[in-house]
Amino acid sequence: MAECLTQGGAFGNPGSVSHAYGDAAAAAIETARAEVAAAVGATAADVIFTSGATEANNLALFGIAEHRRDQGRHIVTVRTEHKAVLDPCRELERRGWRVTYLRPDPSGVLDAAQVGEALRPDTVLVSVMHVNNEIGVIQDVAAIAGLCAAHGGARLHVDAAQSVGKCALDFTGMGLDLLSLSAHKAYGPKGVGALVVSRRRGVQLRPLQYGGGQERNLRSGTVPTHQVVGMGTAFALAAAEWRDEAPRVAQLRDRLWVGLAALGGVLRNGDAARSVPQLLNVSFEGVEGESLLAAVRPDIAVSTGSACTSAVGEPSYVLRALGRDDRLSESSLRFSLGRFSTQGDIEAALTAVEQALVRLRRIGGWAGSCITMH
Amino acid sequence: MHYNALTRLHFESAAHAGVLTGTAIRRGAAGSRALGAWVQFDVHIDVDAPSAAADTADGPPGSGLVRAVRFLAFGCPHVIAISDWVAQRSVGLAARRRLPESLPAVKALFAVPTEKLGRLLVIEDAWIAALSPPSR
Repeated sequence: MAECLTQGGAFGNPGSVSHAYGDAAAAAIETARAEVAAAVGATAADVIFTSGATEANNLALFGIAEHRRDQGRHIVTVRTEHKAVLDPCRELERRGWRVTYLRPDPSGVLDAAQVGEALRPDTVLVSVMHVNNEIGVIQDVAAIAGLCAAHGGARLHVDAAQSVGKCALDFTGMGLDLLSLSAHKAYGPKGVGALVVSRRRGVQLRPLQYGGGQERNLRSGTVPTHQVVGMGTAFALAAAEWRDEAPRVAQLRDRLWVGLAALGGVLRNGDAARSVPQLLNVSFEGVEGESLLAAVRPDIAVSTGSACTSAVGEPSYVLRALGRDDRLSESSLRFSLGRFSTQGDIEAALTAVEQALVRLRRIGGWAGSCITMH
Repeated sequence: MHYNALTRLHFESAAHAGVLTGTAIRRGAAGSRALGAWVQFDVHIDVDAPSAAADTADGPPGSGLVRAVRFLAFGCPHVIAISDWVAQRSVGLAARRRLPESLPAVKALFAVPTEKLGRLLVIEDAWIAALSPPSR
């Protein structure tokens, strides 16, 4: 990446075909495109670089909806999708499309049959994420792809921002039409991602922005060579290492869960048997979520289940969709493990959570854990 | 969410968390865990304290002197921190049905976001409940 920003590297505009500097940058991008494609089982020509998965999701949803508006205006998606899918769906509803929001079962798993039942003659798009960003549950997108193919008119978009480097992903083999990717979820740079658009399946969509016609006319704008090169390298590493890495991370995740469960009043969110090893989401009884996060924050870097941005956080809509009540949805922590996680990190996290939990439950008078003073 | 130094101090220590027992203890609670904020105060009032007779604000003369306070709180760091501060600051003051400082002053002291003002009211309600005369 750094070389692309220096005079001795591929600093040229990759869209400039009239000089060698442009050629060098274009070559670097095509290498990255091939690396990204190889990591997800796609063809290089199908990869459209974007600013990230959010833009890729927007391009997929609006692009398909607008391109196929005369064929139908019905979309199927899931309540536990990322905001980058749900918010475009809300906007499409405001513009006249109908959207069916499916509810997964309490463990976060979507039965493919639900998609089949929701398909209508005017359905033009189904959008289902592969790995949920809060609970890590993997959806059977291959089965859903089969239903969409049988339907004939519905394209399948899959948000796979959380998948690369965590589980098997085969764009072509699974029969997907569109796939959103993010670089930074696979240790790549922030600010770059991709939408994979299947040429073989004849997928067409309308662009969101117009200009120089880069990226098959689907994403005009100069391609950021350094970002794209970083994404390509990150994906190549992820593809090479994830199968060896997964058992080690799963072992750490399982140790973390056993330790947390021993604290009592701890509930696991998401189907453990169908989750990526890098995510563990748990709810804690007897504590308030914001206080729990504040108490552990000096010692460990974790996230709440929610993506709240307001001063008063809202409970996770994902956990609520699974049937958790507001309190348990709010008092959840999402532990993310990865390539650099160690056994020592797990033990440190367990110590921090135990101390915070005992203290806050005592302060809150939970389960008779009060102090008596005279 | 960022918290100011006073909030962090009281949230992290919560030195006055707990309960009191005894015949001279008044207990009051307000709020709901289900709604995200619940506070309980136990207040030890010395009704024979000499200085108590001088106080008439928000309470009849001779309403007593606060000797000790303990609290339990389920809520965000602001709820816990302010409850702890109330428990600390009230000791030695006359037993009055109001917090040691006005709500706007407490809000400013702890840099409480406006969205959380309702939680301050829960703390105040719990304190008032504890200091209210026992029902006959």
